[in-house]
Amino acid sequence: MATTSKQYKAIGEDIWKGRTEKTNAELFALTYGALVVQLIQDYEDYDEVNKQLEKMGYNIGTRLIEDFLARSNLGRCADFRETGEVVAKVGFKSFLNISPTVTHGAPTSVATSPTAATSQSASAGATFILTLDENPLAEFVELPEEAIEGGLWFSNVLCGVIRGALEMIQMQVQATFISDVLRGDESTDIRVTLVKYLEEEVPVGDD
Amino acid sequence: MATSASTSVAGNLAALADPPARSVDGPAVDYFLIEMVNTLRASSAVAVTRTKKIEQEMTEAGLLFPPQQGPPAVPSKRDSMASTSSKTAGADGKTVVDDEEEALRLRLESIGMHVGANIAERLCHDRGLFADTLDAIKFICKELWVACWDKQVDNLRTNHRGVYVLQDNAFKPIQRISSWQGRADALRRSKMYAAMPAGIIKGALSRLGFQAVVVPEITTLPQCTFQVKLPKGS
Repeated sequence: MATTSKQYKAIGEDIWKGRTEKTNAELFALTYGALVVQLIQDYEDYDEVNKQLEKMGYNIGTRLIEDFLARSNLGRCADFRETGEVVAKVGFKSFLNISPTVTHGAPTSVATSPTAATSQSASAGATFILTLDENPLAEFVELPEEAIEGGLWFSNVLCGVIRGALEMIQMQVQATFISDVLRGDESTDIRVTLVKYLEEEVPVGDD
Repeated sequence: MATSASTSVAGNLAALADPPARSVDGPAVDYFLIEMVNTLRASSAVAVTRTKKIEQEMTEAGLLFPPQQGPPAVPSKRDSMASTSSKTAGADGKTVVDDEEEALRLRLESIGMHVGANIAERLCHDRGLFADTLDAIKFICKELWVACWDKQVDNLRTNHRGVYVLQDNAFKPIQRISSWQGRADALRRSKMYAAMPAGIIKGALSRLGFQAVVVPEITTLPQCTFQVKLPKGS
């Protein structure tokens, strides 16, 4: 029987409580905010800033996943739906102490290639949406009109972290913001779409 | 009954006015700070290149004297770029690298100043101004250090003429730095990670009303000292 949502919540709580090293969230929020401002000044292009934040998040995510696996002792997820539950209830909880809600979506487009329809390729395109009720990064933040019109996703680093972490466990995903309260939207949502499962590959150069 | 109700209301209001500090995971923030240095290194390179290109275009158009001959005619919008034009021509490659390192250091310091100022404000919001520089430095050594790096400063020295030296024998941001190229390389790389903490100290002091110059120094990992120069006469 698959682990229920409630059990994941409990696991997340336990890991958070078991964390010995915690830092003040304000310190984090202030530093991140100052970083975004500096990047905007340096690149002068909001799209580029979004990309750089995502890239930074990717690098962080590739390291966080190891920490996460070591502490959570969770096994492989049965399907992408379960991945979404674990990311929201255990992942976000143990690192940021927040519990986003998860909404699962059906695959948006069915693969029409003639390859054999294994259970894995059938779920490519599966999505889940994380709705963040609170965002520790955006504690003291108000975006100016210019940034909103320019298309800045302030917390884009989170998308990168999700992408980086999941790539290290053989899932290639696309994570993007679809709405953000900082831009005046109703809620803060990240959509995560599975592109494909990655095969374990022998590194280039080894024969 | 009435008194207990009012104290519980007062208690709720107090909690609302001064909410308990939220926390996030320590290691996650550490990874973030490490990656932040890399991200800023890339962005400062982009910014330096762009500024140099503009300077070159203006020089070619005759609007600007080449850097060797004097200060630039155009004031740069961002203060952090002012240092690039003061470098005299050395071996070209070296100058560019120095400029980029300096640009990165300035960015990290300015982020630190923003963080330090706000943290100091939060920590001091219910106390009066500091009587003199020594009290402010003691606040830095104890409360600020604990808020940022979970411990207090190990050693404080002063020459009683406005120069203080704060020593931390196991400075958190550089505690776990190592390099596969050896200790000397690790030492060289660690200097950049002390730039933001120096900024935090500088920003905190400036919010408390003291203009200071803060210089970090690392001779052996993980020990770090900060030399704080305050103007004479608080």
